Amino acid sequence: MADPLHQFQIVKIVDLPDPTLPIVGTVDLAFTNSHLAMTIAFAVVVLFLTAVTSGAKVVPGRLQAVGETLFGMIDNMTDSIIGHDGRKYFPFVFAVFMFILGMNMLGMFLTFTATSQLAVTATFGLITFGLVVVIGIVKNGAGFLKLFWPTGAPLVMRPIVGLIEFFSFLLRPLTLTLRLFGNMMGGHIALKVFAGFVVSMGALAAGGGLGLLGLPGAALSLGMVTGLTALEFLVAFLQAFVFAVLTCIYLNDVVNLGHGH
Amino acid sequence: MAQTPDHGPADPHAAPTTVHDTHATTEAEHGSGGGLPQFEFQHWFGQIVYLVFLFALLYLLIAKVFAPRMRRIFDQRAETIETAIATARRVQAEADAQADAARAGVAQARAEALRTATEAKARVTEDLNRRQAAAEGEAAAKVAEAEAAIAKTREAAMAGVSQIAAETAQAVVEKLTGKAATKAELDAALKGAA
Repeated sequence: MADPLHQFQIVKIVDLPDPTLPIVGTVDLAFTNSHLAMTIAFAVVVLFLTAVTSGAKVVPGRLQAVGETLFGMIDNMTDSIIGHDGRKYFPFVFAVFMFILGMNMLGMFLTFTATSQLAVTATFGLITFGLVVVIGIVKNGAGFLKLFWPTGAPLVMRPIVGLIEFFSFLLRPLTLTLRLFGNMMGGHIALKVFAGFVVSMGALAAGGGLGLLGLPGAALSLGMVTGLTALEFLVAFLQAFVFAVLTCIYLNDVVNLGHGH
Repeated sequence: MAQTPDHGPADPHAAPTTVHDTHATTEAEHGSGGGLPQFEFQHWFGQIVYLVFLFALLYLLIAKVFAPRMRRIFDQRAETIETAIATARRVQAEADAQADAARAGVAQARAEALRTATEAKARVTEDLNRRQAAAEGEAAAKVAEAEAAIAKTREAAMAGVSQIAAETAQAVVEKLTGKAATKAELDAALKGAA
């Protein structure tokens, strides 16, 4: 029986020399299946956007309509959440959305899902968090700290609420990371487990005799796999969307800081 | 991060010097042992660096190429629609103006036709009256002339009658009496008869 976690194993395709860097020490460099999945996702996203925008017409074709729907969705989101400044942050949010969506979707077709790697989702979480912090400090300077100063709370409560706000702010990259990671990993484990049931119960039935009782179980598992696959497509889209929405909300916090949002 | 001693909870090969030739065994261990492969931190560094690189590339492509292209199409579309609506409005206004002009023309033509008809009617009536009057005058003159002629004829006839009566009376008297009556007698007799 195949281990449902086996699909998350990093496998080296091309091993590269391991350099020794100042802070991190010796690193094990290689072009792995994770790199391959990221590369394919990147290529697919770029090809898709190229196909959508290169021959773009005023009256869109089918592919262009799909691209415009995604584009318009994120554009509306940045506009409605961040406000009139939203257009400036659109490329970042759209890049995050498209890249995560590409990786999630490819995970449904390939044997490896890049977004089920904690390293990948943590990178996305930290990039977003880092951008929020940098924009917050660049735009507001020391006023950035007002983000943690709850003016709506009674004076005595403010330090405590502020502290809670501060820690919840620090937890943002972690929640971003774990939400995407958990959803993608959990879905793929469930798929693999039920798919494994189909095989093992089928094998039991192939043995004949009492083993034939395994057939209904195998059929049920197959139904579950089918249903879960549909669900996973939804989750793949939804998690990319959720990541983009949260990115917008976090950016809005620092872009419109002190504008009474 | 990448090559640290805390190698993953279930990884027995948690040595800082793990290199590729031992990976076959670590994989085999994972296949049976459990523990998430995502916590094999020696693979993190390469993935993170590569992802940051790809993400930066994608961001630049979207910010510099794809988003502007898309915005251009959106703007172009909005412009096209705006122009089409403006053209439609203008054409509509033109059509309205033309319809008004046509309506005014029809009304004017109708008024003119009415006036012409009235004039013609008046002219015809006047002409008719004039001719009627002329014809009546002519007819009256002819009647008067005829009446005059009749009167003359009657007078002539009346004169003739008294002469004939006198001659007849003379002839009758001559036949009856054998002698001719005098003129005076005849006249007296005729006057009495007349």
